[in-house]
Amino acid sequence: MESIDKMTRVDIIISFIRYEMKRAIAKRKVLALLAFTILLDTFPYYALSTATNGTGFIPLAAYPYIWVAGVFGLQPLFLNFTAILIAAGAMSEEYEQGTAELLLSKPVRRNDYFAGKFLGGFILFLIILAFNILLSVGSAFTFFGPQASLEILPGLFIVQAFSSLIFYSLAFMLGELVRRSSLAYIFSSAVFFASFIISGYLGLIFSLTGKEFYRTVQIYLPTSPANSLPVQYASPLLPQTVGIVLRFVGADNTIVPTIELSVAILLAYTLVAIGIAAGYFWYADISRRMG
Amino acid sequence: MSNPSSQGPSVLQFQNTVKDYGSKKIGPVDLNIGKGEIVGFLGPNGSGKTTCMRLMLGLIRPSSGNVRVNGYDPISKHVEALNHVAYSPELPNIQTFLTPTELLTLVLHELGFQGDKQDEIRRVLELVGLIEYRDTKVGKLSKGMVQRLSVAQALIGSPELLILDEPMLGLDPAGSAHFREIFREFVMGGKGTVFMSSHMMNEVESLCTSVLIIHSGRILFRGSSSEVIRKVLDYSVVTVEAQGLQQETINSIKEMPNVSQVTINNQTIEIIIKGHDDIRPALSDLIVKSGAKLYTIKTADNMLERAYIEALKKNGVDR
Repeated sequence: MESIDKMTRVDIIISFIRYEMKRAIAKRKVLALLAFTILLDTFPYYALSTATNGTGFIPLAAYPYIWVAGVFGLQPLFLNFTAILIAAGAMSEEYEQGTAELLLSKPVRRNDYFAGKFLGGFILFLIILAFNILLSVGSAFTFFGPQASLEILPGLFIVQAFSSLIFYSLAFMLGELVRRSSLAYIFSSAVFFASFIISGYLGLIFSLTGKEFYRTVQIYLPTSPANSLPVQYASPLLPQTVGIVLRFVGADNTIVPTIELSVAILLAYTLVAIGIAAGYFWYADISRRMG
Repeated sequence: MSNPSSQGPSVLQFQNTVKDYGSKKIGPVDLNIGKGEIVGFLGPNGSGKTTCMRLMLGLIRPSSGNVRVNGYDPISKHVEALNHVAYSPELPNIQTFLTPTELLTLVLHELGFQGDKQDEIRRVLELVGLIEYRDTKVGKLSKGMVQRLSVAQALIGSPELLILDEPMLGLDPAGSAHFREIFREFVMGGKGTVFMSSHMMNEVESLCTSVLIIHSGRILFRGSSSEVIRKVLDYSVVTVEAQGLQQETINSIKEMPNVSQVTINNQTIEIIIKGHDDIRPALSDLIVKSGAKLYTIKTADNMLERAYIEALKKNGVDR
């Protein structure tokens, strides 16, 4: 009897995952993001191949690793921002439209709805991430010939997904707390860009003053582990020549000193954000449709 | 003035329930709805109808007091309480990108429905007259069709308690009549219960076995339509449709016991009587004996509406 109940709950969560994916696709955000991914993963390669043709700007030895530019170049801005765009509306849009009320008036556990919404949006993000990686490799192959070290891609995919979880969770939490999609997008983006910009200033102040305090604060900002971890994971697995490509896309410098610390910071932010969102969702009233 | 009693075993209970929004307080509400009833929930906008429904569904927490649905707290025992409970919200809270089939499939998954889903979907779509639109996006359906779909998603599975927020809104007269039949059949046998809010007094009067009037978060009256009318109004109204009425007959009507006012409009006469004595037998005798042709004689159709307006007036609401 208990196992049937568990099966039913899994079935319910899967239904909510499907529903959330369908909902997000219907909002056309995902299609716009996919179109943007195509642009970002093809045009730069074409421009790069045209600009470097015969100039030696990028050494021939780095050509088999040029896929790294697309895969790493998009993490700092595009992938994190994509995570925010998908997550911020997952809960808040349902409140605004009054559709959460209908779904939660059924005999379902709020936890199952929450899990379905969270996972549904994240799976969509993973599809965009996978598309980004495949398109980068495809474009690199098209414009720069056969690519090497592609065996690290599955692991890199998982690491990038994990790294993006921090802003996905923060945006998801803010969507639940403020319950208005426009505010959730604004607050999440503000956290993201503030962290990005403040990190740059803190790095500059640290290099000028040498005071460890600024470095420490910089390390614990959410953008630092999100952008450091993929590079920390991939660097030991790639040859030295890749360094020039990473430098080219500004991903050669990791702020967080160790991979373990990056994982710990990412986990801490993610779990706290999920915990707050889940707690608030469980306790708070389900908002009515907003005008 | 409230009467929280019910007919059959209790399916819905409010015990001294208060919802305090800070700027506004609903309650304390005491309520007991029994199985097999069709309850019409009446009240002006902002009186607390939707709050009560949302409390029943566990969508909001009471600030104090208790709510029980099928004996369970709809917040802490949400699944147990809402098993076999279905809700039809007001328009238009259905995702527009879904088709009726997709929405109903999702609902069946939520309900953990074990039977043939396609058969069940076909059954309810045929019942509400939407089978031809099963694969049309909700965004392309008319207002009335969305309302039908809203009721369909409540009727799917095996609900025993329907909580309906303005279920007839946007329906044409034929659709309203069809839905009245559906709800009557639903409660037949005493297993099903319907709790519906509505601003359509005629619908409530003709359909509901019990009426609740709420205002400022307090239940003002509870009972059958006729009980509420008798409690609130100190007069009754009879309408007569007749041809060939002489002034002498009209004068005789005016002189009948307790008749306080007679208004003539073409062939229709409206007679206001103090109290609730039934003067129709004496009245019909009088008209027939006068030689006039009597077509109809009945209690006025809008008595519940009059009682409702009067009840609100007595509580300081003019419009």
